[in-house]
Amino acid sequence: MTALIRPPAPSRRALLRAGLAGAGLLTLAACRSAVDEVANTSATAESSDTPRKGGVLSVATGVDFTPSLLFAQSANTLVQRLVFNTLTRYDDRLRPQPELATAWEVAPDGTGVTLKLREDVLFHSGRRFTADDVVFAVKNLQNPARSAQLRSTAAAVTDFRKNGDFELTLLFAHPVSNLFDLFEFMIVPDSDSVEDAVAGTRLIGTGPFTFTDRKPGSSLTFTRNDRYWNPGRPYLDGVEIRIVPQAESLLSSLRTGQTHLSYNVRGKDVATLRSDPQFRIKQYDTGAGAYYIGVNVTAEHVGDKRVRQAIAWAVDRERFVQQALGGYGSVSSVPWPKSSPAFTEAGAGHYRHDPEKARALLKEAGLDRITLPFAHSNDPGATATAQILQYDLQQVGIDTVLQPTDSPTMQKQLISQSMPALWTLSHGFAQLHPATLAVSAYPFNEARNSSHFTSPAYTDVVQRAWNRGDSDSPEAKALYQQITDVLLDEEFVIDLAIAGLVEVAGRKVQGATLNKFGYLNLDDARLTA
Amino acid sequence: MTSTTLPPEPRTDRTDRNRYLSALRSWRGLTGLALVGAAALAGLLAPLLTGTDPNAQSALALAGPSAEHPFGTDDLGRDLFSRVLHGIGTDLALIVTAVPVGALLGCSAALLAATSRWADLAVQRAFDLLLAFPGLILALAVTAVLGPGRWPVVIVIALAEVPGFGRQLRAGILVQREREYALAARVGGASRARVLLRHVVPNAVDPLIVQTAVALSLGVFIEGAMSFLGLGVRPPEPTLGSILSQSVAYLATDPTFAAAPLAATTALVLGFTLIAEALNRGIRR
Repeated sequence: MTALIRPPAPSRRALLRAGLAGAGLLTLAACRSAVDEVANTSATAESSDTPRKGGVLSVATGVDFTPSLLFAQSANTLVQRLVFNTLTRYDDRLRPQPELATAWEVAPDGTGVTLKLREDVLFHSGRRFTADDVVFAVKNLQNPARSAQLRSTAAAVTDFRKNGDFELTLLFAHPVSNLFDLFEFMIVPDSDSVEDAVAGTRLIGTGPFTFTDRKPGSSLTFTRNDRYWNPGRPYLDGVEIRIVPQAESLLSSLRTGQTHLSYNVRGKDVATLRSDPQFRIKQYDTGAGAYYIGVNVTAEHVGDKRVRQAIAWAVDRERFVQQALGGYGSVSSVPWPKSSPAFTEAGAGHYRHDPEKARALLKEAGLDRITLPFAHSNDPGATATAQILQYDLQQVGIDTVLQPTDSPTMQKQLISQSMPALWTLSHGFAQLHPATLAVSAYPFNEARNSSHFTSPAYTDVVQRAWNRGDSDSPEAKALYQQITDVLLDEEFVIDLAIAGLVEVAGRKVQGATLNKFGYLNLDDARLTA
Repeated sequence: MTSTTLPPEPRTDRTDRNRYLSALRSWRGLTGLALVGAAALAGLLAPLLTGTDPNAQSALALAGPSAEHPFGTDDLGRDLFSRVLHGIGTDLALIVTAVPVGALLGCSAALLAATSRWADLAVQRAFDLLLAFPGLILALAVTAVLGPGRWPVVIVIALAEVPGFGRQLRAGILVQREREYALAARVGGASRARVLLRHVVPNAVDPLIVQTAVALSLGVFIEGAMSFLGLGVRPPEPTLGSILSQSVAYLATDPTFAAAPLAATTALVLGFTLIAEALNRGIRR
């Protein structure tokens, strides 16, 4: 007879291990269930898509709000349309739509515009909005201290004629083709508190949200303006803008639901979200962000346009778009997006990747190997961009010393014309009427640009394109072509690619839009259940 | 008849060496040496092990491991095998420069502290000041003045190591100078400097050997953290921290990108830590 051998009883240690392992697995399963539940809830919400009032929308951005640049186009323009309003706003086809101005009539000779204003608008302080506030807003932009890119257009306004509190005529020194670009750009501030606004302590406007708190480098918060002139709007109770400088943390905040919306996700990160059903990705085809290499033409070697052209031929734009922008963009040698009346395929494809041609141009300029300083923003995306460009330039004999610089400093250097020989950034303003770019954007401004470039021919053609009442006629387009020709020949701004803003929104977010300057409009925004 | 007790004989170099060697022959020591040795050899022999330029870019971005690219490629199409190997070399060059500088400064400050009460007070407060700054705040402060680059990394690592070495040596000196042999030397007419340098310091350096191994692992960590935050060596020069920093964005989609720099960093930090622990146990035995 054989005795049955009983298996040894598990030791206490083994039991403990098994217990811990089981608990771990259960925890994982619980997490998984929670995730599934969230996903399912999103799916249900999507299907029902019930608009509802209330909720606080959290927006993630990589760059802090700079109050001193409130009236300029800067890296963070999310605040402007939350607290303030503009006179008009463009639709998708650059046709002005009413906002604080309900109607307008441009004089036949283009030297004046008469505006009829809303009569039911109150500032957050309770004061009524009148024609005097429009006069103040224009004069505010004329003030050089505001660093407003559209100052030249505002400065063309020479006189104001009021007809009561809610009708006003602006008179111009000459016709301007980008009048409604000014109205899209110009926020209307409260004259009593404008200095507090640029100090960042008090923002008083007529917009859908009132400013409640600012923690520099961390967040800005806003609450619903119950006396907003747009009936029933806004739907949201409040908005929080969170400053998340690290691209990875920003992405993580969206993935974990800590924030609902962002326009600052890097192109290559957006590529990783494409297949994620949690997110809705919308690309703005306005080309607000054009990537370029700026050249300080007073620096050694790059004063010769052959060297600048060599740089333009040296860059592999296709690789740049794929590796730096994750494919979200299109290669271009000119600043104009496809929606611009100045856009031509020939201009966009003028410079291709041709290292041989670049070397030949350098040789022609009497140079073999040169070294240039090259500034870039110190965030990971811009650092990768700079490395791509550095490598391409190195292949043709242009060595560069990278100078990582924080974003606000780059902006200040751009405005104060104190950039090194080369820098890389992105620019806006090409998404509007073409004259706006050449009279307003810091890199292109014919009167005072970051490159120190001056040319009578450039000034002449820009002024002729700007000083006219129309912007789409064949004559106007011929002038835009001449501007393009100067830009392609002189290459003081070497355009690389056009990339519009990319909106990454959680499925719950509906109705958020941007204007042509990247002002966040949340009048119709809501969080679905 | 009176009998005299001789003070304990200070240790000889030979006995010290044997203790260190036997400590390194423990499993901790051998594992640590193997990890550091493998990583260091890979870094030092990088030019021989790979002929690929670590900064050469291509259109083949984020490719997985293959025969041509054993560790794959990064987001700019650069060969990760070459970059990781050269990155190890850069990291080792930085810490091998910075740690001795930190040790020298710390030990000099400790010796200065041993000369008078006031000097001791001043040196201790200086150490407190340095310790009050977390390493990354120190890095931010240094790079705010000097900008990113190799030398700021060396300076930050060296400064971060100063209090560690200084305090270890100061504590050793305080213990040793009260021992009988030091007293005998003073009674015998030796000058204060001679007692300190000839008799006390040689018997107080044991903890510094351990501290050196700890400092090397800390150096790898500080370099990694600085490069991770964009405060370290300027791109495109590869370092382990900068490669790791780049790879974070692709952890979900391309995990192989982070694998090799992570393994190399772990090998170096773990290796130095194990060596430090083995030496510590050997010395205490």
